[in-house]
Amino acid sequence: MTFATDPERIERNWRSITVELDAPRPGLIERFLRRLGLPAHFTRLMVATPALRRSWFIALALSILIGLGATDAAKPRDDLFILLLLAPLVPTLGVAMAYGLSADPAHEVTLATPMSGLRLILTRAAAVVGCSSLFLGLASLFTPSTTAMAFAWLLPSFGLCAASVAAMTYTAPRKAAAGVGGLWVILVTTARVVAADPLAAFTSSGQVLMAIVTVLGLLVAYLRRDRFDLLAASS
Amino acid sequence: MTLPPARPGSATPSQILAFGLRKSLGGTAVLQGVDLALEGGVTTILGPNGAGKTSLLRCLATVLQIDTGSLMIDGLDPIHESDRLEIRRRLGYLPQDVGLSPAARVFDAVEYLAVLKDVGRGHQDPERARRHAVVAVLDQVGLGDRLDDRVGDLSGGMRRRVGLAQALLGSPSLLLLDEPSAALDPDERLRLRSLVAELRHRTTIVQSSHLTEEAATSDRVLVLVDGRVIFVGSPASLASSAAGRVWIQNHAPQTARASWLLANGTYRCLGDPPPEAMLAEPTIEDGYLLLRGSPVETG
Repeated sequence: MTFATDPERIERNWRSITVELDAPRPGLIERFLRRLGLPAHFTRLMVATPALRRSWFIALALSILIGLGATDAAKPRDDLFILLLLAPLVPTLGVAMAYGLSADPAHEVTLATPMSGLRLILTRAAAVVGCSSLFLGLASLFTPSTTAMAFAWLLPSFGLCAASVAAMTYTAPRKAAAGVGGLWVILVTTARVVAADPLAAFTSSGQVLMAIVTVLGLLVAYLRRDRFDLLAASS
Repeated sequence: MTLPPARPGSATPSQILAFGLRKSLGGTAVLQGVDLALEGGVTTILGPNGAGKTSLLRCLATVLQIDTGSLMIDGLDPIHESDRLEIRRRLGYLPQDVGLSPAARVFDAVEYLAVLKDVGRGHQDPERARRHAVVAVLDQVGLGDRLDDRVGDLSGGMRRRVGLAQALLGSPSLLLLDEPSAALDPDERLRLRSLVAELRHRTTIVQSSHLTEEAATSDRVLVLVDGRVIFVGSPASLASSAAGRVWIQNHAPQTARASWLLANGTYRCLGDPPPEAMLAEPTIEDGYLLLRGSPVETG
């Protein structure tokens, strides 16, 4: 008995099967992120971006340190001040460590892909902010303060990240983060001294201000998004 | 079920038209009025260190913006965002430093780029199509059996091939390779040349190199010195530009523009030969050295 077969078709089908068998399975973290409902291409970007791993590690380490620092002090409002001052700096630092030629060895090859630089940096920023917010949120739960004020770092985190992404269109990522972070420390400390209240910068008016900074930062980054597509400016 | 290619490859190679490209970096002019008209085949850029080869490739890869002049790739102007991203869809780029993470698996390193290149878009199962495309390009560069290996465990040549696999994703119609054979052993170099020869009919390939033997197998050679194109033509015409100006003699020359000691104890000399000189068949290297005009140390 003979069978009519198309060797090329058999070869193609066989190849299709072997690819499915040979392709490595996603790792534990990636599978976990997918179970949370995140799209496959997003989780792949998150897990496979070499520069992000360091950012996540830094975010985790700093969150633990800040959490410990905030719970050890004797005065509750001073504890909270430490947390609220330092927490927004964590994602800002993380974003700076996740982008640019000095942070990402694959930066040049990444730039030459059709994914726009702004989309890429915002994706990475979202990953870093999301990750650090989770850790810092846990740290906040252990502070002596049980009020919503313990989470008043959240909006400043967005504001500082957006401001540093905007500043990256003018200077290198680490310089941008350092500048924005330095400015933040000066402003918060000044507000504390002037108002004689450690949490003066974190009142509702301060929060509104940070919301405006977030919007303005994103607007500047969008208007100057070309800078993220080029090698020299984003290095 | 058999999947079609993850992204149908462009049927025609890209066209590059450049006029008067100028670029300065840190106050130094790295490109000084480069004109180009390329479509299809393999073009090898030869030039000394600092000639502007990498800067030119970066401009063509749209990651570096030109200061003045005009650059069009397939009629698209990289100065406009939408055109730039469209060019990048058609582009495969292998920079000098691919920047692979040593801890990454070979498959993951290439799939990461596949995600950025949006390979698999438009398929019913994009993830599956992407996986197939990744395995296909790794097969193409001879790493189909190293999918699970860590990049850090690979030799320098193999890492280069991982970078090449990244560049080949999405069947690019324009392939830019910055010193692709750097760190490759002779076997790997031959494999690369075969691969480039396979692709030359449907892709415009521009590569930089220090190796004149690599230029010999390309369709055209472009010699870049101090940011200026001083020669464009076939490898044969580069070699023949040195005809009658290459000779062999037994003693160290007095008047040659350049000369070097050969293994048999004779000197290969370039320049205006003396009347009694024994002329030699010129090579691409001879043509290149004479064009460059810089002296070569005698042995």
